[in-house]
Amino acid sequence: MNKKKIFKLAKGFRGRAKNCIRIARERVEKALQYSYRDRRNKKRDMRSLWIERINAGTRIHGVNYGNFMHGLMEENIQLNRKVLSEISMHEPYSFKALVDISRNAFPGNKKVELPPKKEGLAILV
Amino acid sequence: MNPAAGNFSGNLKKALAGLRRINLEGLRWRVFDAKGQILGRLASQIATVIQGKDKPTYTPYREDGDMCIVLNAKDICVTGRKLTDKFYRWHTGYIGHLKERSLKDQLAKDPTEVIRKAVLRMLPRNKLRDDRDRKLRIFVGGEHPFGDRPIEPYVMPPRKVREMRPRARRALIRAQKKAEQQNQHGATDPRKRIKKEEAKNEQSV
Repeated sequence: MNKKKIFKLAKGFRGRAKNCIRIARERVEKALQYSYRDRRNKKRDMRSLWIERINAGTRIHGVNYGNFMHGLMEENIQLNRKVLSEISMHEPYSFKALVDISRNAFPGNKKVELPPKKEGLAILV
Repeated sequence: MNPAAGNFSGNLKKALAGLRRINLEGLRWRVFDAKGQILGRLASQIATVIQGKDKPTYTPYREDGDMCIVLNAKDICVTGRKLTDKFYRWHTGYIGHLKERSLKDQLAKDPTEVIRKAVLRMLPRNKLRDDRDRKLRIFVGGEHPFGDRPIEPYVMPPRKVREMRPRARRALIRAQKKAEQQNQHGATDPRKRIKKEEAKNEQSV
C-alpha cells in the first residue's frame, strides 16, 4: 500500500527515517520536494559549470569569457555553452581555433600575454 | 626523491609532509615568487590555481589543483599601514581571551603563516579545503627541496596600479624633495649645519 511505496523511496535514509513510517513519511515528502526543486536547479548549476570551464579554457589563451562570447556572437557562431565546454576539455586545438576567431572578431583584451608554451597546447591534465 | 634535495636548509620533514596523501601525480608543480608581490593579490592567484580553476577540466567535487610552491615568503609586501595595523585575531575559548597579533610580529615569528592564512581564507569552506591546504607549500627563503620535480614558474598577470590620490601624491612629492635636500647637503645634521652657519657669521662679523 502507501507504506510500501514510502519505504521503497526511503531507502538509504539515516536512522529511523528508513524504518519507522511516521518519520519516513516526513523525510520522503521533504526528499521529493528537494528533488523537484533541484531538477530546476540542476539546469542552472550545469550551465554555470560550463561557463567556468569555458572561462578557464579561454584564459589559457589570454581571452576572458565575456570577450570570447561577445566575439562568437559577432561572428554568429551559435554553439551553446555545453558544447563549448566539451570542446575546451577534449579538443584543445579546435578550441584554440575558436578563440582565435573570437579574438579577430572582437579584440577586447589588449595584452595577450601568452606564457611560453613549449611543445603543444594540450599540456593540460 | 629526497637525496636530490641536497642543500635545503629548513624543515625537510615539514616540507614533505603528507605528500603521499595527495592522489594524482599528473599535476604540475607551480612556483610562485612572493618577492615584492602584494599579499592579497598573490593569494587570490594562488587560490585560483590551487582549486584547479584555471584548467578546463575543472570539476567541483574532485580535487584537481596543481601543487603550489611559494618562495620568499618573508619578502611579501602590503600597502598602506597594514604592516603595523593589520591584526590577526583569535579567541582561545576562555572568556575574555581574545588574542591578537600584528602583521609585523607574525612576519617575525612565522612568515609562512601570513600567506597560508590569506590563501586558506580565500578558498571555499568545504570538504576539499584541507586537501587543498596540503597542496600548498610555502618557504621562507628562496629554495625548496622539490628540485627534481618538473617545475613550472608562474607568471603573475600584469597589475593595474591605481593612480595615487592627490593628497597622497603631494605627500610623496614632499617626502621625495626632502630626501633630495638631505642628499644635497651631504650627511650633515640640520642642527650642525645651523651651528656651522652661525660660526661662519660670527667669524665674518
